[in-house]
Amino acid sequence: MGYFEGFAVTLKKWGEGVTTKEYRGGRTDRKGHISDKDQKSPKPERLHGRHVLNRYEDGMEKCIGCELCAGVCPARCIYVRGKDNPADEPKSPGERYGFVYEINYLRCIHCDLCVEACPTEAITETKLFEFSFTNRSDAIYTKDELLVGDDGRPQNLPWEDWREGDDRDTSGWMRATSPSGRASYLGTPSWSGELGYGVRSGDLAQTAKDASSTERSSHDDDDDEHGGHH
Amino acid sequence: MTATENPESPAPEAEPGVPFTLNGSELTAKAGELLIDAAQRHGVHIPHFCYHPRMTPVGMCRMCLVEVDTGRGPALQPSCMLSVTPNMKVNTESEPTTRAQDGVLELLLINHPLDCPVCDKGGECPLQDNAYAFGPGESRFVEEKRHYEKPIPISDLVLLDRERCILCDRCTRFASEVAGDPLIHFIDRGAQTQVNTFPEHEFSSYFSGNTVQICPVGALTAQPYRFAARPWDLAEVESTSMVDSTGARVAVQSSQDRLVRIQGVDSDATNWGWLSDKERFAYEATDSTERLTQPLMRNDAGELVSTRWNGAIKRAVAALTDAADPRRIGVLGGARLTLESQYAWAKLLKGLGAVDNIDAQLGDGLPADIVLGLPRATIAEACEPGGVVVLLGADPKEELPTLYLRLRHAVQFDGVALIEMSPRATSFGDSVAARLNPLPGAVGHLAAALAEGMVGTSIGGIAPAQLSTAHRLLGSGRPVTVIVGRGNLAESPEIVVSALAALRRANPDVRFLSALRRGNVHGALEMGLTPGFLPGGQGLDVELPGWEMAPQSRGLDATGILKSAVNGTLDTLVLLGADPLEDFADGTLAAAAFERLGTVISVDTFMTASTSAADVILPAAMFGEADGTFMNLEGRLSPVRAKVTAPGQGRPDWMIATDMAAAAGGDLGFTTLHDVRAEIAARVPGFADIDWASDLGAEDGPLVRPLRTWTVSLSETAPIPPADDYGLRLVVDRKLWDNGTMVTESGSLRPLIGDAVLGLSPADFSRLGLSSGDDVDVTIAGGETHTVAAVSDNRLPVGAAHIPFALNSVRAQSFLSAGEPVIELRVRPS
Ligand code: SF4
Ligand code: SF4
Ligand code: SF4
Ligand code: FES
Repeated sequence: MGYFEGFAVTLKKWGEGVTTKEYRGGRTDRKGHISDKDQKSPKPERLHGRHVLNRYEDGMEKCIGCELCAGVCPARCIYVRGKDNPADEPKSPGERYGFVYEINYLRCIHCDLCVEACPTEAITETKLFEFSFTNRSDAIYTKDELLVGDDGRPQNLPWEDWREGDDRDTSGWMRATSPSGRASYLGTPSWSGELGYGVRSGDLAQTAKDASSTERSSHDDDDDEHGGHH
Repeated sequence: MTATENPESPAPEAEPGVPFTLNGSELTAKAGELLIDAAQRHGVHIPHFCYHPRMTPVGMCRMCLVEVDTGRGPALQPSCMLSVTPNMKVNTESEPTTRAQDGVLELLLINHPLDCPVCDKGGECPLQDNAYAFGPGESRFVEEKRHYEKPIPISDLVLLDRERCILCDRCTRFASEVAGDPLIHFIDRGAQTQVNTFPEHEFSSYFSGNTVQICPVGALTAQPYRFAARPWDLAEVESTSMVDSTGARVAVQSSQDRLVRIQGVDSDATNWGWLSDKERFAYEATDSTERLTQPLMRNDAGELVSTRWNGAIKRAVAALTDAADPRRIGVLGGARLTLESQYAWAKLLKGLGAVDNIDAQLGDGLPADIVLGLPRATIAEACEPGGVVVLLGADPKEELPTLYLRLRHAVQFDGVALIEMSPRATSFGDSVAARLNPLPGAVGHLAAALAEGMVGTSIGGIAPAQLSTAHRLLGSGRPVTVIVGRGNLAESPEIVVSALAALRRANPDVRFLSALRRGNVHGALEMGLTPGFLPGGQGLDVELPGWEMAPQSRGLDATGILKSAVNGTLDTLVLLGADPLEDFADGTLAAAAFERLGTVISVDTFMTASTSAADVILPAAMFGEADGTFMNLEGRLSPVRAKVTAPGQGRPDWMIATDMAAAAGGDLGFTTLHDVRAEIAARVPGFADIDWASDLGAEDGPLVRPLRTWTVSLSETAPIPPADDYGLRLVVDRKLWDNGTMVTESGSLRPLIGDAVLGLSPADFSRLGLSSGDDVDVTIAGGETHTVAAVSDNRLPVGAAHIPFALNSVRAQSFLSAGEPVIELRVRPS
C-alpha cells in the first residue's frame, strides 16, 4: 500500500514547474538572476579544474606511465597502464609511456595530489571548472581527451565551456610544492619546456611576500587581480 | 623473539650460545651465527644489499657495516661477513655506523640513474628503502653519471639495465652457486665493472627469474612483468605452485583482476624461495585467449555450440547414466585439480557412479600402490647432510626444477652422495658420486647386482669402479633416499619397480621420494583418482559412508582405458583436465581410442586437442582462480588460493561435480569448500587432525603420513627383453619447455620450446658416420619409419637413443607403444 504515498509525492510535484536554470556561464547578478552578459565567474589563479596531460616542446608526451598519480590519488579515480615505448615511434622520452590514462570525474575531488606526485609535470590542472556530462562514459576522460593538442592547448570537448583565454596557464605554475618535495622550500622552482609555451620562467616563489613582488614573464595575465594562493 | 631480547634478563646459563652485546643489550647468538642474522633474530635490522640468507656472504656492498668491538677497540666491520664471537660489543646506531651508511649510500647513488618512476622495482626497491631510511638525503655529486645502453636482453625472459646495477653479486652468485648455470659474470674493471653474459651465450637458465626477484635494485627485470603494474596496485595472496609436484610456495599477484606476477616465497620445507621460470611465468596462460569460457555441446550437425550450464550438465549426466555398465566408462586426468575437487570427483564417480576405470596418470607414472605404499622421505630428509640419494628417474632439472635446486645444494654443500641410475646422465654432471646409466630395461638387473654386491665386473658398460662406489654407499649406514619417477617413457614401469625392490633388498631402511611430476598427482592418488583405491589408499572393500555405490572390482589404468576404447568395451570417456591425444605416451593408441569412443566429456580450462574432440565441454576455473589445497610429492599439504575471477562462466571443478551429482538425482553431501574439507577429514585416514585454517597458513604445510592398510609387495621379476645387437634402445623423457598447455599458452614461454632431435651416444654416432644435425631414418620395432635430425649426446650410454617428449618438429609420441617393456630402434643415415 505504501507505494501509493510515493506516487502522491510525484503528483504533488507535477505542477511545480522546473527549477533547473539553463547554464549561461554561471555569472549571476546581485539579486541572483542570470545576467545577460553570459560571463564566467572569476576564479582564483590556482583553482584546480579539469586536468590536462602536457607535452614537451617537440611534441613528446611528458607522461611516462609511472602510475605515481594513480597511486597517490585519494579518490582512486586515475587508471594508468605503462608500456614499452615503440622503438620506431616513441611517444615519450625514455623506455616507458602511459598507454592508458583515464580520470573518472565522477570521483575526482580536484585535490591536485596527482599533480604533486607527477615526476615529469605531465599531469596538471587547468582552471576549467565548467564541465558537466550526462553519462558515465563522458565523465571518464581518456588519454585522448586529456592530452593537449598539437598547439599545446587543451582539447575542447562538447560538454565543456571554454572561453577566450581559458586555455592558457594550464600547467606549470599550479604546483604548490617544490620539485624536491620539501614543503619548507622557498626557492624558485623551474619547469621543463612545454609545447605551445616554451620554457617558462620560474614559478612564483612560495612566500606571500615574494608572491606579490614576483613577475611572471612569459605572458600577461589579465586575471591577475583574482590570483592568490591557497 | 625470545626472552633474551630483554636486557634485564640475560640468557639462562643452560642455553648454549655465544653471549654478545648489541646496542647495549646482552644477547645470545647461536654458535657460528652471522652477526647480521643474530641481530635480525633479536629484532635489530641491519641494512644490507648483497647479503642473502640462502647464499654465501661475499661482503660486496658494505651497506651492513656496523661498529664492532672485540676487545681491540671499536671498528667498522661488515656484519654479513662476521660470525658473532663471545663478548663482542656491537653498535648499529653509533655515529660512525650512521656515517658509514650515509657514505655507502651516497657512493652507490653516484652512478645510479634514479629513474625510479619508470623502473619496475620502484616502490619495492631495497635501494629506495635504504636510501630513505639510512641515506644522507643529499648528494654532493653534480657531474655526469655513467651511461650504458638502457636495458639489454640477457635472455628471452630477463633484461639487464647496467646503469642501475650496484654490483652486489647476488645474481651472479645465484647463477653459479645455486642454479649451477654460471652464465652471467662481472666484466671490466673499476667504474666500468658491469654484470654481463659471455659473448654469444645468453643467460638461458631455467632459474633466471630468481635473479630478478633477488636483485636489490631494478637492474634485472622480467620481460613478462615489464611495465605490467606498479607495486602499489598489486594485490597478493600466498599460494602454492601447481606447475609441478614440488609444491613451491608462491605469492600470486594481480592487478585489475589479472594475474601479473608470481614471486617465490621462502619455505624451509620446499623451495627456499626459489622458483623455476615455469613456475614463475606460466601464470600468463591464465589470460590466454584459448581459455574455455562457457559450456559447449556438440549439436546434431557435429559442431560445438555454446550452451547453458544446465543443459551441458544434463547432457553429461545422461551420457554417464546411459552407459548402463560403469565398466563402459573411463576417466582420465585429475592432477590439475585441487585436493577438494579431486575428492568431489572421486566421490561422484566412484562413490555414486561405481566407476573404477579412473587414472590421474597418463601412462607416464608408476602404479599407485607403490607410490602410496612405500615409506616416504621428505625433501629435507633426502637432503640431510651426509646422506645418500639414489636417483631413479629423469633429470630433476627438467621435470622438477625446484627440487633439483634443493638436491644440488645438498650435493654441493652438504656432502650428500648421489648415485645416478637414470637412463641418461643428468644435470648434476661430475658432482655425482657414482654414475650408473643403464640401458633401458637393464636397471632392475643393475639394482639386483648392487644388492648382491656383484660389482667386480662391468655391467652393461658401467665401470666396476662406479658399481663398487654405489654398492659401498648403499651399505655405508648413511641414510639412503631413493628418488623414483619414470625416467624413460619408453621403458615399462614394472622395470622401475623391480629396481625399487632390489634397492630395498640392498638396504631395508631406504626411504623413497616420489618424482612423479604432474601438478597435484599425489593428491589425486591420495583422493582415489586411480584404479583400485578409495581415498587415503583404502581398498575397494572398505565401506565409506556416502560411498555406497563404490566399485567392487579393480578398474583399468590409462592404458587399459584407451585399449578398451579401441576394442569397443568402453565407450564413454571423462577428461578431468587431461589431453590424452597430446599427452598420453602412446599417441597412436590415444588417436585410435578417440576414433571409436562414443561420448567424450571434458572438464577443462583450455581448448586442447582432446577437448576439441569432446561432445560436452565444461569450463573450469584454473590456478589462481579457485581456492583449494595442494599435496606435494612429500605428501605435504599447502594452500592454493584464488586471486582473480575465472573468465566467463568457468567454475571450480568441485562445484561442477556437485552439480553433476544433483542432476543425476544424487547428493555429494557438500555445498561449500569447508564442507568438502570436513568430509575429507572424516573419511580419509591421515586427514583427521589437519586444521585446514591454521595448518595450511603455516610456513611449511602439514605432512600427511597415513598408516596404510596394506604392505607393498614389490616384484623383482620384470620382463627383461633380450638384447638386440643391431638396434638401439629408446629413451624418451621430458624437457622443461615442452608443448604442455601451460607453456604453449604463455606468450613469453612458447618461443622457448625447442625442436626435438635424436641423440645418440658419441660411439654410436661416429659408428654411423654422422655429423651433427644429419638426418637419419629411424625404424621402430613395429615397422614405422621416421626421418629425424641426429646429434651426438655424451649423456647417453652406448646402445641408447634419446628423444625428448612433446617438443616441436618430431612427435616422440608416435615412437612409443604402451605396454612394451622397451622400444628398439634401427637407425640408418638418410
Ligand atoms: S585531483 Fe585528486 S582526486 Fe582528482 S585525480 Fe588528482 S589526485 Fe585524484
Ligand atoms: S601523469 Fe605523471 S605521475 Fe601520472 S603516470 Fe604520467 S608521468 Fe606518472
Ligand atoms: S644486476 Fe642486480 S643482483 Fe646483479 S649485481 Fe647488479 S644489483 Fe646485484
Ligand atoms: S650486506 Fe654485508 S657487505 Fe653487502
